[in-house]
Formats: sequence, structure tokens, C-alpha cells
Amino acid sequence: MATAADLRAIFPGSTRSTVPQKAQASGSTSRRPEGVLRELYSLIGDSVPTLAAQFNKRPPLKQKPHLGVGQRSVSWEWQPFTNEGRADGLRLSHWTKTSAEPAKEYPYAKYNVQSTVYSYTEDEYTRFLDDPGWTKEETDYLFALVKDYSTRWYVVHDRYEFLGGPTRVLDDLKDRYFTVCKKLIRTRPWEGDEASKASLLATMSFDKDRELHRKNYIAGLETRTQDQLFEEEALYTEIRRLEQTERRFRKDRDALLRMISGIESGLPEVVEDDSPFGSGLSAGLSMEPPKKKKKGNMDIDSPVTPNATIALPPAPAPLPFVKRPSHASPQDIANCIVRTEPTLGTPYKATHQGAHLRSYKLPQPKGANGPRVIQAFQELGVSSSRMVMYTRENLAHFEGIYDSVNVLLDIKKAVDKVEQDIRVAKTRLGMAESSELAGPSSVAGDGDLGMDVDEDAEGEADEDGRAQSVMSARSTRSRKQSRRSSISSVDTNTARGTTKRQKKS
Amino acid sequence: MVMYGGDEVSALVIDIGSSSVRAGYAGDDTPKAVIPSSFGFRRAAKEQEDVLMQGQENGDSASSNGSGQEPRKSAYREVFAGQSGPALWRSKMEVGNPLVDGLIADFEPIPHLIRHAVTSVLQCDPTEHPVLLTEPSWNTPANRERMAEIMFEEFQVPAFYIANTGVLNAFAAGKGSALVIDLGESTASVTPVVDGFVLRKGLAHSALPKLIHNHAKHMLTQKFGVELWPHQLIGSKSPVDPNTKPIYKLRDDRIPAVTQSWREWAENREVDEWVQSVAGTLDQGWNDQAAAARPPKQYEFPTGYNSFFGYERLTIGEQFFHHSPSLIAANPNLPQTIPALIMESLRACDPELRQVLVGNIVLTGGTSLFSGLADRLSNELARHFPHVKIHAPGNPIERRYGGWLGGSILASLGTFHQLWVSREEWQEHGKAIIGQRCK
Repeated sequence: MATAADLRAIFPGSTRSTVPQKAQASGSTSRRPEGVLRELYSLIGDSVPTLAAQFNKRPPLKQKPHLGVGQRSVSWEWQPFTNEGRADGLRLSHWTKTSAEPAKEYPYAKYNVQSTVYSYTEDEYTRFLDDPGWTKEETDYLFALVKDYSTRWYVVHDRYEFLGGPTRVLDDLKDRYFTVCKKLIRTRPWEGDEASKASLLATMSFDKDRELHRKNYIAGLETRTQDQLFEEEALYTEIRRLEQTERRFRKDRDALLRMISGIESGLPEVVEDDSPFGSGLSAGLSMEPPKKKKKGNMDIDSPVTPNATIALPPAPAPLPFVKRPSHASPQDIANCIVRTEPTLGTPYKATHQGAHLRSYKLPQPKGANGPRVIQAFQELGVSSSRMVMYTRENLAHFEGIYDSVNVLLDIKKAVDKVEQDIRVAKTRLGMAESSELAGPSSVAGDGDLGMDVDEDAEGEADEDGRAQSVMSARSTRSRKQSRRSSISSVDTNTARGTTKRQKKS
Repeated sequence: MVMYGGDEVSALVIDIGSSSVRAGYAGDDTPKAVIPSSFGFRRAAKEQEDVLMQGQENGDSASSNGSGQEPRKSAYREVFAGQSGPALWRSKMEVGNPLVDGLIADFEPIPHLIRHAVTSVLQCDPTEHPVLLTEPSWNTPANRERMAEIMFEEFQVPAFYIANTGVLNAFAAGKGSALVIDLGESTASVTPVVDGFVLRKGLAHSALPKLIHNHAKHMLTQKFGVELWPHQLIGSKSPVDPNTKPIYKLRDDRIPAVTQSWREWAENREVDEWVQSVAGTLDQGWNDQAAAARPPKQYEFPTGYNSFFGYERLTIGEQFFHHSPSLIAANPNLPQTIPALIMESLRACDPELRQVLVGNIVLTGGTSLFSGLADRLSNELARHFPHVKIHAPGNPIERRYGGWLGGSILASLGTFHQLWVSREEWQEHGKAIIGQRCK
């Protein structure tokens, strides 16, 4: 019988043979390895598990730390050095590693850099740099200081004490210095190209008036009184609140639209939380505890989530009503059996469904609305858990009812909330009006925002037309809802107006 | 070495303050030698007998610290510096302090103090080490030149530099620009530092700690009737109940040989110890209820007199922040409070800089360890500046020796070694080089 070794022997290229290795391996394992019991070894024979062999071997130790035993210790010596950054030959000493090579340049000498400071000649000064506000002596003094303090302007200004000169602010000094430098650059021959000259000039640009204006502004910011600060803070808070309210309305509206008309609303299904403060639904600001915010999130999402999970695939849902398989056998029809054909291309889930009771298909009310849905079913006299005949049509109907109830509940919740908002706003309005009767009503002036929202909502409600045919009750509800929301937006405007008036008082 | 920017040349850093002289090697985190600035001395018999005294001095080398020969024309016959200088009672010993308002007013004892710190405590040879000294921001050019003269001529140092405590405190806090609030033993100062330079126009300082001290002393002696005998003069005492008359016996053998200046120094020490252990300040301004709610603290004086100090101990700290109108009416030129100093300093600075400075406040100095002061200051400042940020090291060593620490950092930097004023330069340019180099 030909073995692999024989085969290999045929090909001269393969010099490596497994046979000696095998022999060697068997030879080594025939001896009972240490750590394996005799009884065990007699049971398992030659085929000693590699694990035992591994255990038998000394495990690889961690790298032993080299404590520099073998190495030569690094020797340091106290060596004098000179600093090339210094003009004199001061010899200080420091510890360095002993090395044969001669001392290099002192590594810190290169940090003794001097900034380039411009200088001018007498002739240049008289020709170009004369300024009625400055004498030559004072300009010299300024340039000396700038050189001394390497253009640290605050320090230059601090040390600037020119006897007999007028008191100058920091910007005067900067202005003079940069003007002189710019003139020098312009008048002197320039070796480089024009671009570098222009860029150098650009670094010297200094607008004194603008700087003074800016500093005045900073000083003004600092001298704000406490009342002004409070007002500023209040206004800022107000703006943020308004922004949030607007965002909240947009979101509510979209959510409602999506809930009512599903995919036909043309809105993206995914609710992007675009507000930086989380959901804007919680009427307050971001200072509110995050727990409440979360609750607000739930509120806003709940009308959407059922849509997404149950009513999202609206396309396959009406299919059974429209397209009945024509070739269904009469027996199937009699027993209400619907056979779905494996459609090509649509990757439906491939898991095989075993034999099951049709009652398993009955949707169970789930989620936050679950108990309330059951309650609503009870009120309607419909059993939420049993059905006389579990056919596909019946289940679809049931699902429809279930969805409607769910949506209804959500809308009711939204309506309740909006009504509550209205009540609160009205009481606030009433309080504000009673507090100052003479104040002019800013409601009318601020109404435009509310009008916008209203129009939008109307337009969208019209667009919904197609969806209305299915559930007209919903759309009327939605129109009402959108109108309500617009009302409440006006209300918040009035609330803003009132707070404004309160602040004025 | 190059990576961290450090290059130690075993420079010495010497920081002379009102309460203590700190000396140590650059690169250390704590000064190795901390000796009191106050020194004991015996007065030369008469000014006219100077020539005669000279001979006596050579034989009378009883100076406990081995401070070597005295300067030629000296008002001091013997100088006792160091921890066992003024604190050790000696017959007819007087106590002096060379500093007035943070500035060196009397240069004669300075070499004694430095020699004691460097030679006796650090036990090193000043001729081998470059020396970095510190100066307060309001130091005069004459003073720093005199200081350089002492270091170069008397101590023969190879190189010298004098740096500003405000800048050094900012460096110790790791900042190039900062508003340094330095509350020392005798002076409270606010120094704006920008890019490692002091803005002299924004400098504000006052003798506020002195006022606090005097207020405390007045309160103890007048209101509580405390006798501030130091323990050196107490022979025996027996325990008594709080607020009762102390039972003690003075050391009659010492009393006649006690000088007025030593007695004053010892009394001030007692007052300082009381202030440090008992006095405090409230977090949020004066409030009778809050003051009453704070527990009283017990303190026992060397005589054995002990008492519980309630809200009185909190009135002491109030002086840092607020002067009562009656006090202002009584003395027209009171030292400014800390908030007033800060305001004055900031007002003199460029509006653009104020935000930077307020965001980088460094609180330092021994008096800043006053109980509750840092919290109170941050509360006071937060009321005026919304973005205030105070750097107050929690480590008391860093707080007390911030100036020294900054010097230690500076003098161990590789890039600093180009700034030393070398002996050669000193001999070549004379005093002028100090003003040119140490800006």
C-alpha cells in the first residue's frame, strides 16, 4: 500500500520526509511523561494529550527584570560647561554622562533668540518717519523698550515712562511702532518676492481706531450693572425658551402627521433629535432634571413608535383585501386558509413556522398604552383576547381596530396636554393682565408666528386627503389638533409678551 | 534632560521674607533651610566706641551660630540668627528684623542671616553656587544693587540673579500670566504678572496683615485682659479653669535682663500663634447668626490662662475683607482690604487683560493660610467676576514658600542659565547690569 511517504519519494523536490519525524514523535511519547498517572496512561496509551505535555514542560516565565547586573553602570560626572547663548564665558557645572566625545554645544543655547526689531537711521527718520505727535527721542525710546521686552506690548506699555512726553495708551505705542516699521519696509529695498513683503506688511497691520473701539466695548461689558446683567440673562433664557418651543411644535406636528398618514406624510420616519438640549417637549429649559426630560421624550415618541412597529408596513397590510390569489382552492377558501407564495426577490424571513393555532396571531396590546387599550376594548364591548374565528381578514380588522384605538389614545393624550397648556397659559395671561391693566397687549403683534404654524398645519392636513378616506375621524382630529397647537403657540407668545412686560415693570 | 527643559547647576535659591528666610537648592520642592528673619543681637555699648569694640569682638566670638567676623561699623555686637536665635532667651538680647513693609531696610544683618542659612544650615560654600535671590515687586533699584553687591563682594558667588516674588509665585503655580495675591506676614500685595513680567502700574500692596495682628493683640490684651508673657519667662504655672485668673510664677532671674524689643517680639509671637490656631473667617461675609453657629475654640496661653473664643475669633478675619465704618472714621489711612487691592490692581490694567488675570488668580503667602480665607476670597470674587478661578495650593508648604518654589523651578531650567549675571559681567559693567538683566 502506497503511503504518503511513498508518494513524496516519487517527487524528488520534496526532501522533507515525515517518516523520521513520526518515528521520533512516537519514540518520545512512548515513555510515560511525568505528571500523568500510570493508570491514566495505560488507558490513553500513546495518544497523550498535548495538554499534559504542555503542563509537563516548564511554563515560559515572565521576562526577568534586568537589574543592570551584567551591564556596566552609567557613570555621571560633574562637568563644567559654557553656554553659547551668553556673551561672557560663565562656566557653570552640571551632571553629564561620562563620554569620550567632547562636549557638544549647550542644548539650551539655541533658545536664546532675539526678536527682530527694526531700527532706522537719522536720515530715514527725517525723510519718512516724521510725525508731529512724536519726537525722535521718544520714538527711539519706544524702539529701545520694544527691543528690551521683545514686543510684549503690555509690558512695554507698563514700563513706558518718557519724561516730558504725553501720556500714551497702549494703542498709541503700537500704532507708532507699526507705522514706522511699515514705512521702513516699504521704503527699503526688498530682497524677497512681493508676496512675502505683502505678508510681512499684513502682520504689521494695526487699526488703532478699531482697537480702541474694541477695548471700549470690553470695558463696557465689564461695567454692566447687576440689573443689566440680570436682564441680559433673562433675555437669553427667553430666547432659548422660544427656540425650544418652536422646535417642540415642529416636532409635535411632524409626529402627529406621521402618526396619521404614516409613510404618505412624506416625512422621514426616523425622529432626529436635533435639539441640543434633548427633547424640547418638556416645556422648561435644559435646567430641568433629566428624568422629566426623559418622560417628555416618551411622550413625543409614543405616537410614533406604534406606527413604526405595527402600522409601518402599510403596504403589505392591505394586500390580502386587494390581491387574493386567484388560484386558491375552494377548500382553502372554505377554511379561510391563505397561502402566501414565496415571492422572489423579497427576502422575507426564512424561518419555517411550525403548526400553530391561529389565535397566536392575535396581537396583544403592548407598550405603555397596553392597559388603556384593553380598557378601551372593554368599553367598546370587544374582547381583546378572544375571537370567534381567527381568519386573516378578521385578524387584519382586529389589528386595524387595535391601531385605531392606540392612535386615538395618543391623540387624546396630546389633546389633554395641549388643553392643560392652554389652561395654564390662560391663567398666566389673566394674572398678567390683572397685575397691570394698562399694559399694551402684544398678542396681536406676536401672532404671526402662530399664524404660520396654523397655515402649515392646514396645508398638511389637506395633503392628507388620501389618507382621510381610510380614517376620516383621525384627520378631523388631526386638523383640530393642529389648530390647537397653533392656538397654544399663540398662547406661548402671549406668555412671552407677559414676561416681557413684567420685566419692564 | 533636554526633554523636560531642566538642567540643574546646583544653584541656591534664597528668598528673604518678613517672617523667614528660605534657602535651598534649585530643583528641590521645599527649602532646606527656613530660618526666622528676626534675629537676636546685643547692642554695641556706644556708637563712639566702635574702634574699641573692634578689638573686643575678635576675642568675644560667642556668636552661637558661628556667623564669623562682624562687619566693621556695626551697631550689633553679636548677632544670633536661626531657629535658636531670637527664640532662645539670652540676657540683654534685643531682637531686630531687617525688613520693613517687605523691603530690606537694614542691610547690616542680611549677610548674617544668609550666612547662617547657607553655611550653617545648608552647610555649603556660597562661592561654588550661583545664587538666585527674590525681591518684592516694589523693591527699589538701589536695594537690588546693594543685594547684588553683598552677594558678589561678600559671598563671592559665581553668578547671581534677582527675581520678583510675584513672577516666581506665578511660575510656582505653573502660569506665565497671573494675578498674584501674596499675603505675607507684614504685607498684602496684588501683582499682575503678564508673560513673566510684573506690570508695575497694576501693583497694589498694603500693610493689612499688620493691622490684623494689631487688632488681634488689642482684642486679647484689652478685651480679654490676657497677659502675653512668653513661656521663656514663666517659671511655673498650675492648671486653672477657663476664664479664671491664671496662677503662674515668672522667672524673676530673667525679668530684669529682658529688653523691650525682645519682649515685644515674644508677645507678637504669642499673638500670632493665637491668630493661627484660633482666628478664622466666615465663608459668606459677616452674619451674626452664622458667627454664633460656629463652635468656639479653646486656647491656652503660656501663663495658663485659657478661654473659649466664640464669635470674636471670627471678627479678626473680617478685617481682611471689610473695614467697619467707625474704624475708617478713626484712622484715615487704613491699609486697604484685599478686595480693594484687587480692584485697584485690575483697574490699572488694560481692559483686555482683566479677564486673563481674573481667570488666573494665584493665592499665596503664609497669611493666606488663615482659616477660611481662601473660601471667603473665592466667594467674594465670584460675586464680582463670573469667571474667576483661584489657584490656591492645598499644600501649606507650597502656599508659604511659593516664591521660593518658583525660584527653584526657574533656576533649574536650562533656558534660564543665559540670564545669570556672572561675576565677570559684574566686574565689567558694575551695578548697571543688574537693572538691565533682571527686568
